[in-house]
Amino acid sequence: MRPKLYFRLITALFFIFPIVLLLLQSITTPWRTREGINIQLESFTVLWSDPNLWTATVWSIIIGAVVLLFNLFIGLTAGKALAFYSFKGRSLIEALLLSPLLIPLLAVAIGLHLFMIRLDLADTWLGVALVHLVPTVPYTIKIFHHAYSQIGRPLLEQAENLGASVSHQFFTVELPLLKNAIRSVTFLTIVISLSQYAITAIIGGGSVITMPMIFFPFLNSANPPLMAALSIWFAVPPLVMYIAVEALLSLAPYSPTFWRNRT
Amino acid sequence: MRLHRIKPWILLFPALLFLLLPAYGLWSAASASVSSTDGITFLHYRELLTSERFLHSLWFSVRTAWTASMASIIIGILITRSFARYLTEILPRLAVWLPMLFPHLVFGYIVILLFSETGLLYELLSTLCFIGGADQFPILTRDDYGVGIILTYIGKEVPFVILMLYPVYQALPQFYFDVVKTLGGGRYQQFKTVEWPQISTVVMETFIILFAFTLTAYEVPAMLGTNFPEMVSVLSYDWFYSGSFEDRPLAFSAMVMTSFLLFLLSLSSYLYVNRKRMRALRGRL
Repeated sequence: MRPKLYFRLITALFFIFPIVLLLLQSITTPWRTREGINIQLESFTVLWSDPNLWTATVWSIIIGAVVLLFNLFIGLTAGKALAFYSFKGRSLIEALLLSPLLIPLLAVAIGLHLFMIRLDLADTWLGVALVHLVPTVPYTIKIFHHAYSQIGRPLLEQAENLGASVSHQFFTVELPLLKNAIRSVTFLTIVISLSQYAITAIIGGGSVITMPMIFFPFLNSANPPLMAALSIWFAVPPLVMYIAVEALLSLAPYSPTFWRNRT
Repeated sequence: MRLHRIKPWILLFPALLFLLLPAYGLWSAASASVSSTDGITFLHYRELLTSERFLHSLWFSVRTAWTASMASIIIGILITRSFARYLTEILPRLAVWLPMLFPHLVFGYIVILLFSETGLLYELLSTLCFIGGADQFPILTRDDYGVGIILTYIGKEVPFVILMLYPVYQALPQFYFDVVKTLGGGRYQQFKTVEWPQISTVVMETFIILFAFTLTAYEVPAMLGTNFPEMVSVLSYDWFYSGSFEDRPLAFSAMVMTSFLLFLLSLSSYLYVNRKRMRALRGRL
């Protein structure tokens, strides 16, 4: 029984406590023990009254959604290829597909800057979304590679032998079994996309406003409750994205939904 | 048959197209770092290697990134191997991965909230009268040793390490441990003979991903670092955006040089892992 207690203590202290702390600070006055601590909700009203916040939130979600779509397309195809086919140069391809994680993002971004200007993609949200692919796609490919390996070849061969078309096979066999992988990819891509300040600033040139772009100006305000409220607000785009993806997944075949009883 | 041979390449096409993005970025950074008005030059690299500021920054970055990644890996291994069996349930797993929901910037702010000179730790210690005034509290954020940066990365990366290691530990057959126990091996023997051979590849991969990231990420050091010594990413960013046009090639060459260092590191660890695998295949462990 004791190790379980240790586990709970460590989890509470290292993984839950920091987030709870943030929540508490967002709804209380700054912690100065001599002045006492009071509950306030002003931090959120100040935060929500900032028009930049809403622009940044909406653009973060739009860019995140586009990044996710690209990721799903690239990850599903490459993951399938890596899981089911053996071909020449496989291990090299696998290493190459992981390599963007080992290259400094800053190097890629300043290198791509001129290229983006030439293509008229600099200072646009699409350019920013493209550069956000670099730190996300390697993880996505890894996740789908693993997920397809777990499904295994026989299941797909069965669908093929029964005469299913490619799309029929994808929607009735692959998609229902890939749901968990898609959920992980959703979270991972939106959180990574939300973390990028430097590459967004370089490619977006300051005219694409995402949430990290307003984080530093807010930091200078040196107002702990406001900063804590903004930090908590960073969980909103992932949640919005998760709900959207979950809603879309519920349309897939073999999803238990309350309005439809097809099992 | 023919179709079967090209089909994987059709499926890989979008991914290969994507690879052009980082490849072209790196290539164009490299070519910008050696270009000048009259042909190819290595002048910028010479300037870098003689620049006290850059060398200091590189050493500081390597030290900070190494410490942060090493600490995250060790804590991650300890937590995973001690508690893997509790992580099978969904709720504990979600709790452990909760920090992954928030970006690095947010974690940086949590560290400020906790450890800054007006943070929770200071308030707690001064209320309990362990310390008298603000001058007795150590500077832990925006400090000269990168303590704030390291703390942020540890808080954020330990869940990532657990995420990478947990599947490996879950797949370890229980009877391996029984064998060690029957033969009278202790905890250290168990780790050395059963766990390490299984996890070493993943640990190596995770370490390199973390090291590459922490060495070159901009956000956290910009928030929690000082002006001197500064991380190599912050220095390059400043050079890139500094008003003077002469500094820009320095930003390119600094980043290319860091990429080259990372390439050497990944190549050597790849060769090391492969050699071990080859030796295992030949039966000489």
